[in-house]
Amino acid sequence: MQVQEQGSASLDVKNVSRVRMNAQSYFTIFIGAEMFGISVADTQTIFRVQKVTPIPHAPKDIVGLVNIRGKIVTAVSLRRRLRLEDAENFDNPLAIGMEHKGENFALMVDQVGDVLSLDDTMRIPTPPHFDPVRASLMSGLYRVNDFLIPALDVGAVFDFTK
Amino acid sequence: MDELLRDFLVETSEHIEGAENQLVQFERDPSDASLIASIFRLVHTIKGTSSFLGLNRLQDVAHGAETLISELRDGAPPTERTVTLILAAIDRIKKLIEEIEEHGGEPEGDDGDLVAMIAEHAQRGVREPEASASAVTDEPAKLEDEQPDQPAATAAPKEAPENRSEDSAGKASASSNGAAKKTESHHTQETIRVTVDTIERIMQLVSELVLTRNQLLELTRNREEDTVKAPLQRLSTVTSDLQDAVMRARMQPVGRLYSSLPRLIRELSSELGKKIDLVTEGADTELDRQLIDVIRDPMTHLIRNCADHGIERPDERVAVGKPEVGTIRVSASHEAGHITIDIVDDGRGLNLEKIKSKILSSGLATTAELAAMTDQEIYQQIFEPGFSTASNVTNVSGRGVGMDVVKSNIESIGGSVTLSSNPGAGCRFSLRIPLTLAIAPALIVEVGDQRFALPQHAVVEAVGVGGQSPHKIEKLQNSLVLKLRERVIPVVALRSVLALPEDDSDRDNLVVIMRVGQQTIGVIVDDVADVQEIVVKPLSATIAHLSIFTGHTILGDGSVVLIIDPAGVAVALGIEKSAERKSETVRESSANSDSSRYVLFRAGAGAPKVLPLSLVGRIESIEASRIEEANGQFVVQHRGRLMPLVLASPAVDIYSRAVSPALIISIGTRTLGLLVDEIIDIFEGKLDIQMDNPSADIIGTTVVQGQAVELVDMAYHLRSAFPEPDRRAHTRGTRLLMASRDKYATDVLCPTLMAAGFEVNVCGDTSHAKILIQETNLSFDMILVDLEEPALNLREIEEACRSSGYDDVPIIGLDGEVSANMNNFGVRLATRLGKFDRNAILGAVSMMIEANLDEMPMALAS
Repeated sequence: MQVQEQGSASLDVKNVSRVRMNAQSYFTIFIGAEMFGISVADTQTIFRVQKVTPIPHAPKDIVGLVNIRGKIVTAVSLRRRLRLEDAENFDNPLAIGMEHKGENFALMVDQVGDVLSLDDTMRIPTPPHFDPVRASLMSGLYRVNDFLIPALDVGAVFDFTK
Repeated sequence: MDELLRDFLVETSEHIEGAENQLVQFERDPSDASLIASIFRLVHTIKGTSSFLGLNRLQDVAHGAETLISELRDGAPPTERTVTLILAAIDRIKKLIEEIEEHGGEPEGDDGDLVAMIAEHAQRGVREPEASASAVTDEPAKLEDEQPDQPAATAAPKEAPENRSEDSAGKASASSNGAAKKTESHHTQETIRVTVDTIERIMQLVSELVLTRNQLLELTRNREEDTVKAPLQRLSTVTSDLQDAVMRARMQPVGRLYSSLPRLIRELSSELGKKIDLVTEGADTELDRQLIDVIRDPMTHLIRNCADHGIERPDERVAVGKPEVGTIRVSASHEAGHITIDIVDDGRGLNLEKIKSKILSSGLATTAELAAMTDQEIYQQIFEPGFSTASNVTNVSGRGVGMDVVKSNIESIGGSVTLSSNPGAGCRFSLRIPLTLAIAPALIVEVGDQRFALPQHAVVEAVGVGGQSPHKIEKLQNSLVLKLRERVIPVVALRSVLALPEDDSDRDNLVVIMRVGQQTIGVIVDDVADVQEIVVKPLSATIAHLSIFTGHTILGDGSVVLIIDPAGVAVALGIEKSAERKSETVRESSANSDSSRYVLFRAGAGAPKVLPLSLVGRIESIEASRIEEANGQFVVQHRGRLMPLVLASPAVDIYSRAVSPALIISIGTRTLGLLVDEIIDIFEGKLDIQMDNPSADIIGTTVVQGQAVELVDMAYHLRSAFPEPDRRAHTRGTRLLMASRDKYATDVLCPTLMAAGFEVNVCGDTSHAKILIQETNLSFDMILVDLEEPALNLREIEEACRSSGYDDVPIIGLDGEVSANMNNFGVRLATRLGKFDRNAILGAVSMMIEANLDEMPMALAS
């Protein structure tokens, strides 16, 4: 998919087609080889982060502040959120612009893939032996053909009070 | 909440304050029936709407108030009791409205007490003039406890308010005229209601637009294509105008602050048993809405103070020949980026002796320190924490908190409070408030590879502490301190406050001295990058708990920086609650004989710049809209002539702000304006200039107050302002040695010569001159020697020239008086000139150099 540079015109991801009835559209995102789903409805824009201003004393998962078209956005690393090491190549990472509870966030990921349509018939229960940290960040697990795709719970991903 | 209810709440709370005022006015001037009619309409509407919305408590209270108001409307005299009851009802209505706004419905409880009291009063007959005269102390706060059968006893004497209204009728109506007109015009003016969020969003977008515009300007600055330049210039102007317009939309009239004052004065008068008139002026002066809320409390406090301490009791006033009624005048006015609110009373003025003894007893200063203070400084002490002169603590003021809170509140928004006093005639408090909080100047500092913004209003100065600097950071009891001009200032490294990784590089540090409330603290940073006007944006919720930051902003280059909260740093230092220091008595000695004055200013990024003050005719503010472009040059119409304007640095962006400061410089017959970003200071000192700077517009670098600054080359700017071909072409690269200690020579003559294109080195005595001549590879084309300076030995200088192969270099004698005699010095002088005739010197020097260039060196000596 096409990715815009930070600062350029907006890409309205809400108009992505292939939406089925009773189904929600999800972006597939990748951290290393792992695939996750993130609801298109929660997503505003996808961009490359040019420059991050670190915030001293902030939680480690918060990478810093980013300027997207004059708006200051809190950048969160999904890798760190998942208790993974930072990627080797940390330059200009991809980020998904999202709004949660009136706050603007940029969720930094490794890759963005296709848009999938997931509905409740594909949903399967989360296996009980999942890592609790990871499980707490997921809203559900979906089976698509041979893949299992965990969908991220945006509320949990951007909740730093726990 | 449903739409109807919300509209009702918004409108009611908007109008109810006005009603309060109108009522107080009506009490003073019962002949103005239009006042009471409008209150009646309002209360009637409240009653009607609340019954429709099922708000029973509101309806009952409004009904009660309406009963009394209708009596007044029908001609009953506004006795104090009646007015007090109506005000109490209005208070209750306000409280209920607030509750409904917060919870969406009326709170539990009932208003039987108030309604019964009103009914009782109405029944007894509002029209009956009451006999008792003991009710001056009656105040609404006591209403709750009163027995319903008291009204006859507590009713106001009829004469007092009427007398007062007669006395003050002229004045009160004069002062209220403005307000009355204002209300009328509100009805006719077309307005729409816009939420604050919308305005904030527009403001954000405009900020973004300004940044983009700045980037565009930066990109095109060095390009010659005129096709882009003209539309860009237009875009620039429109953007600035738009920014202005949006700022204005955030503004609200100061009149909003005035609306509660008449009632305040009424209550103070009865509480204190004084007669006070209120005059308000400049109600339509506009101020950022955020600031209005911050100023409200300090202003109220100052007015209370005037009423309590300033205005005398009526008998005292009469005894000293003043009118019985005292006046408190509150006026607002607008001037260059600030508004000033003056609160003036015509009371007894501040009691200097009382303040002095209070200062001594509270330990704010010693007797000796007190003796050294001017009256003004002593007055200023009343803003110190713990100061209060009221010997008996009244309800109104004198609780020992207040004035210091007033001061710190006003300072927290970058304003200042001053006061002046005239014994027997009154005192004046002046509040100076910046127009807006949204855009504020900030010092951008660097730590490691990160930048942070420090609010400029807290910054006192920046002091160099590395290398050559006389100021050193020392470790006392494991804490860092900086000794600065006899003071010991606690310092902390920003790096450690922010827990940033340690840096091995041994770079020269700077300490930024900041004032936090009563404290002075120092913050160690790696570098000071810039001063910028920043648009302050609040922290998002996720990181709002970080108390060290107050917000963040986007700089001109698009990067995000965090704004440091100076108070947060003080907390990190652990000194926030420690005992406050005594007022500063140490002052810098300014009488330094061989120093002169310089203007320190900022232009573009990088080090601040200096110019000798003697070159600067004056400092002016030039509006961006007045700047025109002619012949590829900026000009401004100035006293009927076109004055060229040059930018002190290419990075000075005159279109990013409405007004730019300019140094007006006259050299010879030429006048030009040097546009800068900001004037920082005028200081006295001695510049030791290293003339090693390769850049064209800078003569050299020097250190001022521990900070590297650049001495601006006026010659460069003069050439760009007056680009006519002339002898300056020849003078380029010609180096002169000026041997003098005379201030005029070093401050005026040298810059003049520099402006003409000469390169000038200065030396103060023979040995310095010899070093320059013999031991540097500077090649001098001419030497100017001050004949009045005893530390200069002409013969030795000539010797030095000869031994260094400068046989032909002409030596010019400069003297206090002009004389043609050149023989008394034992040295061959090329010519002898009057020191103070700079045009003659410039002419002679230029002529000789040109002659030299024409290879006629010896022609000079004759």
